[in-house]
Amino acid sequence: MFSDWMTAVEASRLAEALRSSVWAYPLVNAGHILGVALLVGGTVPLGLRLLGVWRATPLDPLRRVLARSTDAGLLAAVLFGLLLFIARASAYVQSPVFVAKMLVLAGGIADTLILRIIAARWAARGGAAGGRTPVSLRAAAGVSLAVWPAVLILGRLIGYF
Amino acid sequence: MRSSHRFTLRWAAVLVTVAAVFLPQLSWAHHGWGWATDEEFEITGRIVDVRLGNPHGELTVESGGELWVVEVGQPWRNRNAGLTESVLARGVTITAHGHRSAREAERLVKAERLVIDGRSYNLYPDRES
Repeated sequence: MFSDWMTAVEASRLAEALRSSVWAYPLVNAGHILGVALLVGGTVPLGLRLLGVWRATPLDPLRRVLARSTDAGLLAAVLFGLLLFIARASAYVQSPVFVAKMLVLAGGIADTLILRIIAARWAARGGAAGGRTPVSLRAAAGVSLAVWPAVLILGRLIGYF
Repeated sequence: MRSSHRFTLRWAAVLVTVAAVFLPQLSWAHHGWGWATDEEFEITGRIVDVRLGNPHGELTVESGGELWVVEVGQPWRNRNAGLTESVLARGVTITAHGHRSAREAERLVKAERLVIDGRSYNLYPDRES
């Protein structure tokens, strides 16, 4: 049944239009990469800062800016990624690399939600003024530093395996 | 001038020189498809399946009792070479000139040029094929 859905999605007018387009598909591809760039470009500096790199730089303004651009990046990556996906849905779901990427992506989103909840609670308690970054927040930051570059790498590998 | 300006200018001069030396050579640089071998390869067979469009167009070709996948171009490239859906139809016999997969057991070819019914369709006019 699942494979029937994939075939149906692949046969849609939108998917057919993307496959036969000269400009749309490559631009959608570029949009996906732009989203990934904002996503990784936001999570890596913030993750490092939470682990103590650039300690002299105030955390709060940095966090506020990067959380926004990271969210925009994730949204763009997911929307454009969905368009790329439907063009070849059946082949992608059978690719172990693609499936791995989706699992790691899900982990990354979960980690982001957990990280933000921990950070919000810490801020409510006084935040950085109160003392060291909580271990739980540093752990979540460490996970994000592993997960988002891994999503990027897996995405690149799809075309090679 | 300030020493930081001199430093920047010196590095800019180095970069411009390097670019001027290497960029003109790009037009002669041969780079192919990383997964394929460097040698020119040729295969003749009958098209049994056609799947054109982004991200890559593919023909399934029966040759010597085996099924091969011949990668052709994306929409613009195919159109440029004159390869339309009516030309690449099931049952048509083609000769594909290009590069085969470096993996011995993999029946996959990247087509640079197709010959169909005596006529040549060049997907990559800048490349030898």
